[in-house]
Amino acid sequence: MGQDGTSTDVVQVQDVTRSFGDLQAVAGVSLRIAPGETYGLLGPNGAGKTTTISMIAGLLEPDSGTVQLCGEPMGPRHTKIRSRLGLVPQDLALYPDLKGRENLNYFGALQNLRGKELRARVDEVLEVVGLADRAKDPVKEYSGGMKRRLNIAAGLLHRPALLILDEPTVGVDPQSRNAILESVEALSGEGMAVLYTTHYMEEAERLCDRIGIIDSGRVQAEGTRDELIHLVGELDQVRMDGTGDLTAATDALQQVPGVQRVDPVGGGLVCAVADAPVHLAAIVTAASAHLELSDVEITRPDLEQVFLHLTGKELRD
Amino acid sequence: MRALLTMTAVDLRRRLRDKSVLIFSLAVPLALMTVLNLLLGGVSEGDLEPVDLAVSSDADDQLAGVVVDALASTGIVDVTVTDSDDPHADVGAGSADLGMVVPSGFTAALTSGEPAPVQFVMGDGAGLSGQVLVTVAQGVVEQLRGASVAAVAAGAAGLEPDRASQLAQQVLDAQAQVQLTQGEASSEQLSTGGMLIAGQAGLFLMFTVGFGVLGLIAEREEGTLVRLRSMPVRSSTIVAAKALTAFVLGVVATGVLLTVGSVLFDVDFGAVPAVAVLVVAAVLAATSLTFVVVRLARTAEQANVVQSIIALVLGMSGGAFFPITATGLVGTIVDLNPIAAFTRGLGITSGGGGLDAIGLPVAIMLGFAAVCLLLSRLIPNRGVAA
Ligand SMILES: Nc1ncnc2c1ncn2[C@@H]1O[C@H](COP(=O)(O)OP(=O)(O)OP(=O)(O)O)[C@@H](O)[C@H]1O
Ligand SMILES: [Mg+2]
Repeated sequence: MGQDGTSTDVVQVQDVTRSFGDLQAVAGVSLRIAPGETYGLLGPNGAGKTTTISMIAGLLEPDSGTVQLCGEPMGPRHTKIRSRLGLVPQDLALYPDLKGRENLNYFGALQNLRGKELRARVDEVLEVVGLADRAKDPVKEYSGGMKRRLNIAAGLLHRPALLILDEPTVGVDPQSRNAILESVEALSGEGMAVLYTTHYMEEAERLCDRIGIIDSGRVQAEGTRDELIHLVGELDQVRMDGTGDLTAATDALQQVPGVQRVDPVGGGLVCAVADAPVHLAAIVTAASAHLELSDVEITRPDLEQVFLHLTGKELRD
Repeated sequence: MRALLTMTAVDLRRRLRDKSVLIFSLAVPLALMTVLNLLLGGVSEGDLEPVDLAVSSDADDQLAGVVVDALASTGIVDVTVTDSDDPHADVGAGSADLGMVVPSGFTAALTSGEPAPVQFVMGDGAGLSGQVLVTVAQGVVEQLRGASVAAVAAGAAGLEPDRASQLAQQVLDAQAQVQLTQGEASSEQLSTGGMLIAGQAGLFLMFTVGFGVLGLIAEREEGTLVRLRSMPVRSSTIVAAKALTAFVLGVVATGVLLTVGSVLFDVDFGAVPAVAVLVVAAVLAATSLTFVVVRLARTAEQANVVQSIIALVLGMSGGAFFPITATGLVGTIVDLNPIAAFTRGLGITSGGGGLDAIGLPVAIMLGFAAVCLLLSRLIPNRGVAA
């Protein structure tokens, strides 16, 4: 996997920093992404996501540190290697007066696609983002979500080794959002390395094999979702609503292996437990002996709580 | 190379499709040419009614004399000048068609940069000739003022007004001689109509090339510059494509304006190869100016404002609205104005001059381009020009 830094990594970022005047936007970020892996940079506004991405995409020179793409150095002066990169910028990067297909034809041509191949790729990516039937319309007539989808399509045309998506779902309706997430899932399934930034924790959880939590220009923690959650030792919560002898139920539950704590809430109980799905049957059996259960619900700790734990801040304000 | 052509082709297609180029680079200048030509160009000496001009001025005011001389020698209106104590009364009584009141202390005011408004009284008989004379007089006064200001700025402050006006007269005389020499080389200068066509084409060229390099700012605002820069295309190619777009638009628009203008207003600009060289040199000069503007402006709006101001300044002093006979220090500045060089070059070609006769104007335009490109390197980048 990426963490060992094998030479198969699509991108290797080594301790990059970047300041704007007095403000240090990125204060030392390292990361590696393997082929087929989706890496999420999760962080709030101003965390340094776009600045990091700009350095990886060769748009911005790091003050220090290095970026390598497919084993080659990447930066503002390295032009050729950019054909291995697909960038979906945070802000729409489309010509509103041109038709959807014309936009793609243009960007594809600049990626050195020609003739039949270009046409085939344009058709393909239009299909991927579900815009095949609107390709003939000028982009200015698209909805916000459709523009976002075309913005993504433009980054896919040349089958990049690394696809960078910078908050691709901001301001998008749920339907388009789902379409975007599905296409990203499909792409990493094809072996593309994906770098995905977001401040939506659900997206990071759903899409990303590994997640870096970024704040104040630093990756505060990195790992799979489960690793991150174990890192901060959060427990699953099993909540049971019901009527009966709550005290007896509490005593019984405390005997169940895995259960760390039992607290009363509202009309029921909440158990804190290390791995709820494994122990769920035993928990429910123990509780049922004393309670008439009306509802059982598992809440697993999420990245929101991890973020809170790491930074003392909410992910979204 | 391929990327360059791809980008230029799409740029051109977008510009043609949004029609702004067609409007600003062709339709507007053609309309203006027509109007101005109706006002000035369609008439030649003899068509315009002669004018009796009543002038009141201090007898010993030298710059007032310069203005009067300029009016008497426009070459398109036959002017009879009489001294008058009260031009208002003369015009009212019908003994003069046009009255001009030069305020006392005119020379002193001009040379010290004070306002010195010259008043005109239009009689019923002044007509179009009167309009022309007023326009020319205003132009001359502005030139004199500009020359004085420039002279003061250049360290000539402290001169006696007398001495200053003598200097001005000397420069004027020298200018007249230079023009004579040029007239010999080209054997004929542009007609008023030809001058307007050339000046308008030159003025609107400055706007037309704005559709090229300034497009970089629009691309940044649209967000597309980020995508282009993430592609396997060099930054210099992105800029070069904009310059090429400007160049193509400029050459085509100027070519069309000169062609249509010469047909509509019956002006012959002379040998096509020489005219083509002038057009190319003018477009290069105008395009390179946009490289400076793109460095100075942060937003597309700023860029357009700056570009418009420069276009108007260069265009006016290049003869876009009425023929200016440049004088004094302003004359020297005007000499370095690429639009003026362009119109002067067309004067030479229309007089039968060929490629060998247009070296000076072409050199001025290319020199202007070189200075602009150098400046654009020296001015710190504000983030757009890659
Ligand atoms: N070109 C710039 N000039 C000055 N400051 C900048 C520039 N770009 C970014 N910054 C600053 O750097 C910090 C990090 O910004 P960045 O855009 O990387 O954050 P982000 O994580 O992408 O935020 P968001 O979620 O809002 O997109 C911010 O404080 C921002 O104001
Ligand atoms: Mg951002």
